[in-house]
Amino acid sequence: MRSDLLTSILSDLNGSSADIEASSVISTDGLMMAAMLPSGLDEDRVGAMGAAMLSLGDRTAQELARGSLEQVLIKGDNGYVLMTHAGKEAVLSVLAKPSARLGLIFLDVKRAAEAISKVL
Amino acid sequence: MDNVDFDELMDHAKRFSGLTPERESLLVASGDTVRPRLQEVTDNFYAMLLSIPKTAVHLEGRVESLKATHLQWLTSLFTGPYDVEYTAAMYAVGDAHVRVKLPVEFMAGGMCLIQNELARIAGEVSGGDVDKTVSLVSAINSVLGFSLMVMQESYQSSSLAEELDRFLAITGMSRVLFNNLADAYQI
Repeated sequence: MRSDLLTSILSDLNGSSADIEASSVISTDGLMMAAMLPSGLDEDRVGAMGAAMLSLGDRTAQELARGSLEQVLIKGDNGYVLMTHAGKEAVLSVLAKPSARLGLIFLDVKRAAEAISKVL
Repeated sequence: MDNVDFDELMDHAKRFSGLTPERESLLVASGDTVRPRLQEVTDNFYAMLLSIPKTAVHLEGRVESLKATHLQWLTSLFTGPYDVEYTAAMYAVGDAHVRVKLPVEFMAGGMCLIQNELARIAGEVSGGDVDKTVSLVSAINSVLGFSLMVMQESYQSSSLAEELDRFLAITGMSRVLFNNLADAYQI
């Protein structure tokens, strides 16, 4: 039931912008809770790596006096990875195209993260 | 330490160090003649450690209590049994060395000093009998090698555990997350 709700939120998020290629909800321990990922990606690795990055982002923001972490953004040749907390126990991870308009994606991801935190 | 299979570790270390049942018997059989000389080994051992600047700093104010423990261990080399309990005790010694931040080379260096001392005594108690001396020195080398292997195994595990604790503390990652990350990559 909860998994269906999370998947539905991810589906809406992926549909909200053609720039979003994939998304997933991960526990802060790195376990996949719901995912809409391309077939080539390993869910266990996406989950663990995403949670690890967010954990490191939390610590970096704290150490460098940037306050509470809002998001971690990684840019590669093939696009973006955006991670943000979805409540205290989960991480929302999004893959976007290199040409993505980030402002719009940030808004959509923020809304989705709020919806996920309510479900959890 | 809870996850250590001491039976397996003991068998492996005995095979690797050549600590055969025959050598174990020889060590126990030579105990009556060697044991009275062990205080001398301990005294010489600590005198040598105190003469080395890098080892001396780790001994300040503790020599007498360390000597007592050392003599007890040396005695156990010539009484046996060289069993799982002995293996677990040696494993705990390796852990203790990490806790007091003793450099890794201290164990091998220390064993070398003890080996030299015991080899000299083996020659003396064997009354000039070369075959007897060689057999006893081989048995001594085996039991010291066995002990060293077990200590180094725990030293390595404890060092890695300490490094991991430090890494987790720095990154803020939980142990569960680290384990899930390792599982995901089958490490």
